[in-house]
Amino acid sequence: MRLFSRFVALLIAAAVAACSDSSTETGFAGLAQQVGEVEESGFQQPQPGDTLVFPDDWGPHPQHRIEWWYLTANLETSDNQPLGLQWTQFRQALKPRAVESEPPHPQTWPLEAAWMAHGAVSYGGEHWFEEKLARGDVGHAGATVEPFRVWLDDWRLEATAGSDVWRLQVKGDGWSYDLRLINTGDVVAHGNDGFSAKSASGEGSMYFSLVDLQIKGTVTLGDETLKVSGVGWFDREWSSQFLKAGQQGWDWFALHLENDEKLMVFRLRENEGAFVSGSLVGAEGEVEPLSGDEMTLTPAQWNESAQGRVPVTWRLKIPEQGLNLTIAAPSGDYWNAGLYPYWESPVSVTGSHNGVGYMELTGYRD
Amino acid sequence: MMLVRAFVSHYRRHPIQLAALAMMIVLATMLWTGVTVLTDQARNSLFQSEEAVAARVHVVRSDGEPIGVNDFVALRLAGACIAPWLEIQRPPPEGRVIGIDLLAMGCFGDAAPGGEAGTLDGAPFVDISEAVRLSGEEYDSRLYLLAASENPALPDGYALREFSLGPATGELADSFLLNLDALSLLVLLITGLLVRSVHRLGIAQRQHSFDLLHRFGVPRRRVRQLLALELVVLTGVCVLPGLWLGAQLAGMLGGGFGQALDSLFDVTLYAGSTESLPWQAAGIMVLLVLAVCLVDWVVPQTWQDAAVSGRGQLVAVAVLLVGLASVALAQGLAGVFLGTALVFAGTGWLTPGLLAILAQRRADGAEVYGTGPLIRWRLRELAVMFRHLALPVVALQFAMATVLAVQALVTTFENTFEDWLAQRLEAEFYVQVPPGADASLAAKRLSELEGIGPWHRVIRGKARITAGDSGKAMGAEGESVSADLFALTPIGDLVSDWTLLASVDQPWQNLERGGVMINEQLARRHRIEVGDPLRILLAGTEASTSVVAIYADYGRPAGEVLMSGAELPENFSARFESFSVNPGELAMADISEQLGSIWNTPEVTVRDNASIRALASQVFSQTFLLTRAISILTLVLAAVALLIMGWVFFTTRVWYFRLLGIWGLPASAIRSQLRRLSVTLTLTVTIAALPLGIWLTWVLVSRINPLAFGWSLPMDLYPFFWLELGAIAVLTGLVIAQLMRRQLVHRVSDKQVEA
Repeated sequence: MRLFSRFVALLIAAAVAACSDSSTETGFAGLAQQVGEVEESGFQQPQPGDTLVFPDDWGPHPQHRIEWWYLTANLETSDNQPLGLQWTQFRQALKPRAVESEPPHPQTWPLEAAWMAHGAVSYGGEHWFEEKLARGDVGHAGATVEPFRVWLDDWRLEATAGSDVWRLQVKGDGWSYDLRLINTGDVVAHGNDGFSAKSASGEGSMYFSLVDLQIKGTVTLGDETLKVSGVGWFDREWSSQFLKAGQQGWDWFALHLENDEKLMVFRLRENEGAFVSGSLVGAEGEVEPLSGDEMTLTPAQWNESAQGRVPVTWRLKIPEQGLNLTIAAPSGDYWNAGLYPYWESPVSVTGSHNGVGYMELTGYRD
Repeated sequence: MMLVRAFVSHYRRHPIQLAALAMMIVLATMLWTGVTVLTDQARNSLFQSEEAVAARVHVVRSDGEPIGVNDFVALRLAGACIAPWLEIQRPPPEGRVIGIDLLAMGCFGDAAPGGEAGTLDGAPFVDISEAVRLSGEEYDSRLYLLAASENPALPDGYALREFSLGPATGELADSFLLNLDALSLLVLLITGLLVRSVHRLGIAQRQHSFDLLHRFGVPRRRVRQLLALELVVLTGVCVLPGLWLGAQLAGMLGGGFGQALDSLFDVTLYAGSTESLPWQAAGIMVLLVLAVCLVDWVVPQTWQDAAVSGRGQLVAVAVLLVGLASVALAQGLAGVFLGTALVFAGTGWLTPGLLAILAQRRADGAEVYGTGPLIRWRLRELAVMFRHLALPVVALQFAMATVLAVQALVTTFENTFEDWLAQRLEAEFYVQVPPGADASLAAKRLSELEGIGPWHRVIRGKARITAGDSGKAMGAEGESVSADLFALTPIGDLVSDWTLLASVDQPWQNLERGGVMINEQLARRHRIEVGDPLRILLAGTEASTSVVAIYADYGRPAGEVLMSGAELPENFSARFESFSVNPGELAMADISEQLGSIWNTPEVTVRDNASIRALASQVFSQTFLLTRAISILTLVLAAVALLIMGWVFFTTRVWYFRLLGIWGLPASAIRSQLRRLSVTLTLTVTIAALPLGIWLTWVLVSRINPLAFGWSLPMDLYPFFWLELGAIAVLTGLVIAQLMRRQLVHRVSDKQVEA
């Protein structure tokens, strides 16, 4: 559930570049198209009842309009200083393609899909961010299932041969990280067996996560290389039509609680009210879908930031689960200042439970 | 309230004066705003064009094979910031199409070729997939991989080469912009003088009212306060429309400039679309108006009296001389600018008085020689006018001098730029020798081709030169300096038109015989002259030679040595080789194909110099047009000011002119006298502007340019333009006479009605 509006706006530019006949009137490059329109465009739309298929769903879904591979991590340095980290790679299709079809030849410089990668590090109240862009099917960006690999230029997440370890390498201007990721839990399917509704009228996506990632590696900031370790949260999500027209942005949280429970909650802000949903993952891995009726998620404190007024502290109450949490970003400015800026910050959790996590906020820019 | 009403009653009685002052402020603000906006835009546009066309680098394969998509992928995966650039050559009218990948250019940041272009509209940039589709089988295409910086980390097997979209204007543009700044300052000075002149006229006429107010018990301080308030309000009201008009003017003039830049570089480069009004220009104008109108309050009256006294004139002469000496001898730009300001101050100080004295003396002389009384009357009246219209006369003189200088400068720049283009793009086509290819074989083939036009091979490298036996030091004694080496072979028609600043007889023949030519930069820096012996070290071999010519380099900062290729030692290793070719009766495509077969590569880089030259000329023509427009506007403003001043002044002298009628002069004769009077006034000012204009031209091309950039422009004079200016002066004089005639008729009919 992340960032699709931003990425889609980018794709508007790409689409204009490609054929200059794509309409911007249907919202974020058509993501707010109505179901009928999506069908006309030829893209497939996830439906309630669709299920996840492994290992294929680790790879791209060319018949869908948009998808992403998304990692956030709450790490600590060797002297126990918190360090937040993000890596994301998006794919946006301009044209649907059947899974069994051959991709176009790279010599034609096709523009049927575009890729965007974001890398960020948050440490000591400072935030480093960089963005990369590429067209699909040429070769310098893509994703494969066997071996598992997602890459854009020299940024890559890939399975290490002969082991369950993934390696993530990202190099920005003056910063970089090189991490090893080990998954110690099961795949968490959100919503209805992986179909995650994004509005009351049926728009939604296929969405699963790895919530028990153990991470170790190094983060280099300037001349200083830090050894880091901690926990991560990895999302896979794809769809062709997430949003209703009129949805203004979203607030997304992924939290690791001290009692080993994990919690994902999001809120889509609409003209009137909001659509709230989530998942609670128990210590043993059992997944409990959460509906908006079961919880309240409200901003508790707003801060002025470089790009707008941002709710940096939140209250989350889920009475049936005995959760009454305060979620707060550390002081600092955590805008990912790419083509389409958004807020992405690590958070700390206090209240009925303590913990750490990540928060993503869109639609707050002035 | 009563006081305020009494205070402004003057303008109720003389609304034309108020209108004149308001109009001057509006026009001055308009002009200054226009100049400010245009200068900024010209600067930004040229900067952007520099960014876009400046030499970039592209990646080539070390094995000489053409670059392909696979190379792009390999390099991006290795972390290099590169972007594809697919050129499709189509015959006119479609022309060239360039396919680019906006997404890949993301890593270029602001330096992306094409700037922040968000849309690709096919003129000529299109998405690279569209370019591939367009090329099909029909048109030639060539893929380049542009690199973001000069030193990207490249994996083994790749190297960098220069890549340029067109000629970089370099220091030629910098020099032009510096002169544009100087022009802006002069415009500010002139507008200040004009506003002051109109204001002073009003104050002189209101002095009686102020004295009356004082007698009624109003303190003089209070009068001054009200006067300042009046000026602030008037300026505030008039600056706004002036600001808006200036922005409109800039927009109107700038449009053509932007179009020219677009068509030259195929990129949206014109930085003209400023959304907001240039408020800083308004602020400067308000300050200027207040300063020039209220300066009398801070300058003691004794100083003001002294300024127009005989001693004051002596001081003015001293200021003028110090200014002239300062400009001639200064070693830095600041000294030249200060000297120029002093010369202008001294000239402005002296001119009205001198002209008045001259007119008076001629009148006295006319009396002695028994010349007609009307001529004597006219000359005396002229002397009075020079004194009373001192400020607008000086403003017109400055404006004319500025226009003269700008015209000469622009024409000189145009000619220089043509020469510069001729030197840089001497042949119709430029062929780059691929790395590792044998240029000698290609030269042999070219020499065998029948029907080919003039061509030469250029071998580039480095040389170290040392002063020969003349004893001249090139730095420390015996120290050698590094210079870029250009070796030509054969030496023929392509270079014989170069502008040589100094040379021996038959310089090109002497070059073939072993002499060397050096560029202006090297000659100036190390004080080398034609005929000086030099020792030149090439590939470990030192040879003695002499300088046979110094050629104009138009601002290239590096020292250059030009020699015959036949004189190069066998073991000389060229850094870069190219051919400049005029295909003559042959098709360039055929020549290119033959060179490709010799070099065993299907990809021969051929640059069409003719089209680059045509486009480059176009953009500079527009830039020069812009500058001319600014200077002409300045002149128009000065002429309008003189017109207003003349009109207002003449209204005060109508009673006097009417006496001519009472003396029995027919109406037509009175009109004739007025015409002669006003035309003599404006023409005299034009003549007085000539020496100042010529001197200013000399300062711009021969002092400011060498000090700022180390190279000089030739100084040319354009007498035909002086005649054009004279015609404008006559026209202004005739319009003043016409206005006066109407005024006379009006007054006479009033008198008749009263009678």
